[in-house]
Amino acid sequence: MRHYSTAYPLSWRIFDAVEALAKRVWPARFAPWLPYLLLLPALLVTGLLVIGLIEIADSSLHVLDKATFRSSESYSLENFERALTASLFRNIGLRSFLGAILVTAVTLVLAFPYAYVLVRTESPILRKLLLIVLFLPFFIGQVVRAYGWLIILGNEGILNTSLSFLGIGPFRLLFNYWAVLFGLVQTMIPFAVLMLAPALTAIPKETERAAESLGANWIRTFQYVVIPLARPGMVGAAIVVFTLTLTDFAIPAVLGGGSNDFIANAIYDQFFRTSDAGLGSALTLLLIIAGSAAVGVALLLVGIGTLGLAGHDDD
Amino acid sequence: MTGINQIARYKLSRRRFLEGATAAGSVAGISTLGLGQAWADEQPKPAEIVVRAWGGVWVESLKAGVSDPFTQMTGIAVRHDLTEDNEIQPKVWAAVDQGRVPPININWDTTINATKSALRGVTEDLSDLPNLANVLPVAKPEGLEGVPLVNVYAYVYVLAYRNEAFPSGAPTSWNDLLDPRFKGRVALYNDGIGMHAPAVVAGGGKLADIPANMQPAWDYFSKLKAQNPLLGEDPDFTAWFQKGEIDVACTISSNAREAKKNGIPVAWTVPKEGATLDTDCLWIPKGLPAADLYWTKQYVNYAIGQAGQQAWLGPLGLPGVVPGLTPPEDLVGDLSYPTTSDDLAKLLQVSPKIQVEHQSEWFAKFKEIMQG
Amino acid sequence: MGEAVTTSATRTDAVRNIAVSVRRVSMAYPAVLAVDDVSFELAKGSFLTILGPSGSGKTTLLQMIAGFQAPTSGEIVIAGQPVQSVPAYQRSIGMVFQRLALFPHLTVAENVAFPLRMRRFDARTIPGRVERYLDLVRLPGLGNRRIQQLSGGQQQRVAIARALVFEPDLLLLDEPLASLDRKLREEMQLEFRRIQRELSVTTINVTHDQREALIMSDEIIVMDRGRIQQMDRPQRTYRQPANRFVAGFIGLTAFLPVEVRSVREGVARLRIGGAELQGTVAGDDTLLPGGAAEAALRAEQVRVATTGAGLRNLDTVLEGRVEDVIFEGERIVYEVLVDGFNEHRVRAFDHDPALHAEYPIGAHVFVGWNVRDLLVFPA
Repeated sequence: MRHYSTAYPLSWRIFDAVEALAKRVWPARFAPWLPYLLLLPALLVTGLLVIGLIEIADSSLHVLDKATFRSSESYSLENFERALTASLFRNIGLRSFLGAILVTAVTLVLAFPYAYVLVRTESPILRKLLLIVLFLPFFIGQVVRAYGWLIILGNEGILNTSLSFLGIGPFRLLFNYWAVLFGLVQTMIPFAVLMLAPALTAIPKETERAAESLGANWIRTFQYVVIPLARPGMVGAAIVVFTLTLTDFAIPAVLGGGSNDFIANAIYDQFFRTSDAGLGSALTLLLIIAGSAAVGVALLLVGIGTLGLAGHDDD
Repeated sequence: MTGINQIARYKLSRRRFLEGATAAGSVAGISTLGLGQAWADEQPKPAEIVVRAWGGVWVESLKAGVSDPFTQMTGIAVRHDLTEDNEIQPKVWAAVDQGRVPPININWDTTINATKSALRGVTEDLSDLPNLANVLPVAKPEGLEGVPLVNVYAYVYVLAYRNEAFPSGAPTSWNDLLDPRFKGRVALYNDGIGMHAPAVVAGGGKLADIPANMQPAWDYFSKLKAQNPLLGEDPDFTAWFQKGEIDVACTISSNAREAKKNGIPVAWTVPKEGATLDTDCLWIPKGLPAADLYWTKQYVNYAIGQAGQQAWLGPLGLPGVVPGLTPPEDLVGDLSYPTTSDDLAKLLQVSPKIQVEHQSEWFAKFKEIMQG
Repeated sequence: MGEAVTTSATRTDAVRNIAVSVRRVSMAYPAVLAVDDVSFELAKGSFLTILGPSGSGKTTLLQMIAGFQAPTSGEIVIAGQPVQSVPAYQRSIGMVFQRLALFPHLTVAENVAFPLRMRRFDARTIPGRVERYLDLVRLPGLGNRRIQQLSGGQQQRVAIARALVFEPDLLLLDEPLASLDRKLREEMQLEFRRIQRELSVTTINVTHDQREALIMSDEIIVMDRGRIQQMDRPQRTYRQPANRFVAGFIGLTAFLPVEVRSVREGVARLRIGGAELQGTVAGDDTLLPGGAAEAALRAEQVRVATTGAGLRNLDTVLEGRVEDVIFEGERIVYEVLVDGFNEHRVRAFDHDPALHAEYPIGAHVFVGWNVRDLLVFPA
């Protein structure tokens, strides 16, 4: 072997060596187990998350002892009682859920045409432009974007300054619930578009033409063909937008003016302001449970298979 | 201990300060530590120490007044960590619990927050700092064992306002915040800090009612909520004043003063109900290597020395904890820089212990009203 | 185009029983002229196939008739109505798409009922009508199946039923059979033809498959590079191709470069290499003596035998040598180099390979054909 191995390029020999090593570490008869080995990193990461959740669950069962600012030894459900009965948390919970539902609905309505044009346009320039506009916010980051809205929508912001030339305003556009929802919708649209685009790509143009030739105008084509066929993407997008909105922190913090907190802000307060990790953990668990339940119910209503519906018969 | 007793203590300390009792201009330096030059020489120096600080004028003044001189004297670099005080806290707590070296050497903290850490037992005892001999009693925390933290200055939560909004003169009462023309143009700290005591008085109660009867404050906050106030943090106030979002705010005088220095047309006042007087402190987390701890203590010691206090607090416009400091010219006679017992009588102070005990409860109630 | 012209043309269509008129239609894209001044008329109830290679413009033409694209110029009239301003969904056109484009989220019956619902048929009549059309395409009782549960042939039938159930004036077939395997394709060709005859629905089929065109159509339009090359009945298209393109596109054709010696009464005397031949002048083309021309010869018109006697009934018999043998099962294709033809080969089908032994490569053979089958086109 030695006499000709030098004739091969270095990269070949390196790969040969790696392969030989791999064979010793992982003999061929283990091959059927390889997929499970590859699953290991994901399992580890998920496992860590589970450990974290167990820690949180444990923490939620201990009340803060204000004499030592440590969790008390004894177990109790007091944190949950506070989290569920205090009107503060009820208000914030309702606000978050209502906000998540509204933002999800509006985002889907706005993202759908965007995704549709992105997928269907025959102009490569328009498609590139739409993609750039879509991805740009990801590079900017949520907090910076939220502050961008302060510059645009503030009392002396661009919008109000423009309005003042018309002799109206200024209007308080920021620091209220609608500003928070607006900011959230803007944040969520790219996620929704990215979830919807593949679902729309999977619908052949021909299928829409078929509907048209069969007598459906574009509204009815959307109603009876495109939207039903895009349902997996819509359900996926709705779940992503809903959960991201429900757990959002930055937008309510920056655009809410301090009085439009979402659940994540209340959790932050417990961990970082009142140093009450127990109550914070209880709120965290409740958020996870309520969020999962909402998603579960939604999936039950639309059918779990919806997400898995993949292929179409016409290819 | 009630707020009134606390004020009495404070008055006492201020009186001592006014008398200029031991205004011995201590020369800053290692020799003042009293621990002995030889012993100090034996302690290996860390390359740097990390001090958590607030941004803006706060960290600038600390750097110029304390950190830079410290580095000059000792050759030890000082890095300022601008993590929010309430966000560094769980990290420090976790590090101490797990026996790790904490992420910072010194936490510049509110006395309320620091008291929690002291109660938790994560603070180093500072009673051997030589300069503690020269400070006013207010520097040492009450109700805690030893000296787990040293208060470094007092500050006042004033009523700051845009000059334009009050053409006929400064507002005189916290109830002016309820004027319909300020709807949506009032700002408070988002945890209500600094407003509880004035709210009790403005709501018809007395300082002595705290903490037994807070109802007047809740009534006041409910009325204030109808004004749609903005709730934020220190940097927000400056930004909001600058961008014309607000006309009035309850904020620390230093923020208002800094805004004014930057050309924003704001002024501040202590209304007739009074304004909250609070303190900030420095503390050292447990778990530092012995030599690091030694040099970290040197830093704190310098910060409560005459020279350090003067240089650090001058730009902030805050009254320090050593006697004989010179107040900034623009603050002479200003209630936000109290120097006389009459001044102090017009301010409201609630003991940190009561505050710590009731903070989460008051915080929750404030949030409940404001998030309603 | 003036309104009066349109109206009179429309009236004429009705009188003459014309289902579709395409008048001087062009479709110009920035880079290409996809359809170039195309005109034709189609009688009611007839089956037209537009045949051409890809890029010939046949699909674009169909899209314009369907209403998915607007011609840059010209006029399309369907059932007496100019349709320029009629959107696709208001045209009375049923269409079967290349990939069928059935709706996977609907059942078979819902697919078939779709056009009825969209076109607001009386809801009470819909189930009966759907059933009738499922019977017509021989899928009785399968209405509740999901599309994914059907075989490829069954899906074809659903697509046909869906396109016809609302009784459109016109049925368009956009190469729906292209993706089927040969056996199923041939079965469906006959099925389309049966259904089309049963309903006498005017049909336009687009394909690149010459065999399909010949089997199914009443009329064939051969297109190339955006233009109609020939519009004719299948047999004429096959036997009398209008030009070299059509001759080459239909059948397995060999082209021989020839020199025209003389032309008399449609018969040309030709020279190729050292040999002399006679051929038939195709169409109305005029050939000048002494000029170059091309002679097209279809393999199926050429016979091959080991003796000249075997080709006694043909008027042109030549000797040559087998250069290649291609076995295709029911027939064998021989490539023969005819003596004196230089390098130009003639292809011949042997339709009865079972009757005699295969001629090996290099074998000396006779090839023969009739003068009427050697078509001469100007070069």
